[in-house]
Amino acid sequence: MKTRWMLCGLLAIGLLVAGTARAQDSLVVYSSVDEENAKKLLDAFTQATGVKVRFTFLSSGPAVARIEAEKNNPQADIWYGAPSENHVVLKEKGLSQPYVSPNAKDLAGKFKDPEGYWTSFYMNPLGFASNANTLKQKGVEPPTSWADLLKPEFKAQVQTPSPQTSGTGYNMVAALVMIMGEDKAFDYLKKLNPSIQTYTQSGTAPSKAAAIGQAGVGIQFTPAFLQLIEEGYPLKITFPKEGVGFEAPAISILKGAPHPDLAKKLVDWSITIPGQNAITDAKTYFFPVHSKARLAKGLPSFDEVPAINYDAAWAGKEKKRLVDRWINEVLRAQK
Amino acid sequence: MVTRGRLTGWWSRTAYDLRRLWEEPVLGVAVAGIFGLLLVFILYPLARVLTVSLFPEGALTLKLYREFLASWFIRQAFVNSVVMGVLTAVGGTAVGFLFAFTLTRTDIPGKGFLTLSAILPVISPPFVSALSIILLFGNNGLITRQLLGLQDFAIYGLRGLLLSQVFTFFPVAYLTLRGILESLGGTLEDAAMNLGATRWKAFRRVTLPLCLPGLASAFLVLFIESIADFGNPLILGGSGFPVLSVQVYLQVTGMYDLPGGAALAVILLVPSVTTFLVQRYWVARKRYVTVTGKPTRAVIRAVSPGMQWTLFAACGAVALFVLLFYATIVVGAFSRAWGADHSLTLRNFGYVFAVGAQAIKDTLIIAVTSSPLAGLLGMAIAFLVSRRRFPGRQAMEFISILNFAVPGTVIGIGYILAFNQRPLLLTGTALILITNFLFRYIPVGIQSGMAGLRQIDPSIEEAATNLGASSHVTFRRITLPLLVPAFFSGLVFSFVRAMTAISAAIFLVSADWNLMTVQILSQTEAGRLGAAAAFSVLLILIILLAIGVIRLILGQLFEYRYEAAFG
Repeated sequence: MKTRWMLCGLLAIGLLVAGTARAQDSLVVYSSVDEENAKKLLDAFTQATGVKVRFTFLSSGPAVARIEAEKNNPQADIWYGAPSENHVVLKEKGLSQPYVSPNAKDLAGKFKDPEGYWTSFYMNPLGFASNANTLKQKGVEPPTSWADLLKPEFKAQVQTPSPQTSGTGYNMVAALVMIMGEDKAFDYLKKLNPSIQTYTQSGTAPSKAAAIGQAGVGIQFTPAFLQLIEEGYPLKITFPKEGVGFEAPAISILKGAPHPDLAKKLVDWSITIPGQNAITDAKTYFFPVHSKARLAKGLPSFDEVPAINYDAAWAGKEKKRLVDRWINEVLRAQK
Repeated sequence: MVTRGRLTGWWSRTAYDLRRLWEEPVLGVAVAGIFGLLLVFILYPLARVLTVSLFPEGALTLKLYREFLASWFIRQAFVNSVVMGVLTAVGGTAVGFLFAFTLTRTDIPGKGFLTLSAILPVISPPFVSALSIILLFGNNGLITRQLLGLQDFAIYGLRGLLLSQVFTFFPVAYLTLRGILESLGGTLEDAAMNLGATRWKAFRRVTLPLCLPGLASAFLVLFIESIADFGNPLILGGSGFPVLSVQVYLQVTGMYDLPGGAALAVILLVPSVTTFLVQRYWVARKRYVTVTGKPTRAVIRAVSPGMQWTLFAACGAVALFVLLFYATIVVGAFSRAWGADHSLTLRNFGYVFAVGAQAIKDTLIIAVTSSPLAGLLGMAIAFLVSRRRFPGRQAMEFISILNFAVPGTVIGIGYILAFNQRPLLLTGTALILITNFLFRYIPVGIQSGMAGLRQIDPSIEEAATNLGASSHVTFRRITLPLLVPAFFSGLVFSFVRAMTAISAAIFLVSADWNLMTVQILSQTEAGRLGAAAAFSVLLILIILLAIGVIRLILGQLFEYRYEAAFG
């Protein structure tokens, strides 16, 4: 019996050794772009530049927590994806380093940090997705304005992410503040409470709830809607005519990155026209940020989306205060 | 003077214990080794987290704690956590006991199926489980809308949460209680009835009191687990029913506030640790020995025929629910669009094998390495704590169960803080995932091991020692085989958790080592619900297969007969 236990032990050690001896010299990426899209985009990068990439999917919260915890011995070179206001947080925490790519001159000002701490490489507007079947049963038209959502027929039918937990949820609150002014925006959000079925913790939960008919309307960024429609779910996308915010996911090079030169190559390539076309070719449902890049079929042209001039840097600065106000005024008033 | 007398008494006892340790070097080395491991892999990461919460800006301050305790929202979350924990523990222990009792004390048909359905929910793939619950009980749910015709059934909040928590956690209670009811045998009940007791009286005065230590540890484990869990409350609690474990997660990942999250975690530890202490004090005073080396053959007649069928119906209803739950996931895995278009397709599996092969392999390697280690270490600690005298015995039990009460998020962060620098540089390796699972999931093994040991008369071990067996031979040849049922549940539990856990793991996966659960999260986030369901089906199949293999190996090693337990 002793021998058997020892064999088990040896096997375990063997597995460990086999596992740790993997390739080491390549660009290490923490990706908040979902696994499949990240793989497609980073594969295209490897093909274009010959730089090998190893990446781990982490949604934005865990990614920042992890980068912060690892700051004394950084494991990764790049944080890839997650809306730019998160990269503002990273900059303020002193966890990233500046790099102004020569290609960044082609991008509009809202897509890059003036000092080069982060560079956006795609964008997504916020939208409404309505479950066609659910709304038909109730005899309701899909909402086309923020005001529509206050109607009694949407009572407990809407899901939206909580700004406390989700960058998407915060984007919605910050955009409403930019559109209506702060006090009016909070009045609106309080009046919206009865229509809300639940404030979800995850930024992508509303689309799923709408897809399976749990909710009539889900509010979030559009790519997951388009993916769900592609999968066969009966969703209809509309935009509120008063305007919506958008996210512009960015790249930051981490402070103390083990491979800074490879990291710069990824920043450079991502905002070239081939890099931007890769976003469209990979069927990501993202909007490119370079005005000369191709746009995917099925995407509304960005001019049709009533996108406001969303100020991500301001939103990043005001986040704690606005979220606290939301918890104390809106969430507290619920029920 | 009294104090001084006590102190001298304490010291002479400790000195005596230390001398005995010196005389038994194997025991001494084992105790020192285990303490070393507990120190590095449990206390040190937690200490790092605590430090972060007390020194948010470099200087010692209680500012964070004062702010949180003053906030209505956090106070509400604290109350909600405790309410949910108590209700989940009561409900889960009751359902677990129902199954354990019915399956060991009655002669009903379909025991195999009922057994399976009492173990299966321990395997609940993250996120997909909540989706399945929503599809069954939500607004548009199969049960609520289609079968019962309810309009707009509110699933978010305490009601839906409790449903999913009891469902997820009752198997833990079942596994603990089954082992105990089984080793009790029916002899004592028979004896009581021979002496003229009614069945009800035999149950109330014999069976139930003998199960108390088991019920208490099941309650403890369930309470602690459910208040530390954040998967179900994250999705089903919603913002209307905030609980503390979710707030810890959100503080760290939503507000990017590591010190704040750490402080909240410390607050969450208060109810967990209190429960633990209360239970220890209460259970420790009751001691039952039922495995005495005397034969325990009995005729099953503790339950009247009418009662038997009532129990059968109750278990059957739960089992039906379990069946529906998993059927929903399987349907999702084979559908074009889960919840909307259920035409048959294999494309989800094609996608999973194309994208997730590496993650499947990594998950297996990590689970296969960590769970046997967790099982063995758990039994070793249970044995040492309940059967040997050494200084720091209470401390060992306390520390080894501590991780269980801490939300995974915090442990994950503690691990990166602790193991990101030389000499303990583990980030990015498989070892950080393995040690995390190992030390996070030993408590169930320890709890069931101790509950089991409390029922084995030490005189059996003493007999072996008197016949000349050394302490480790006694352990291996006598105690360990008697502990096999507890070992089995410890092993299965840690394997299942290594396969399904995500809250700590999400901070520890790396480019080289990824896990299936992280894939499931990624797929649900991206809107590929079918692929997430397919991943979950694979996960469930792997776990079922593994349980079969564990059973086979243990049967070979210890000639333990599982026909009754898992037939």
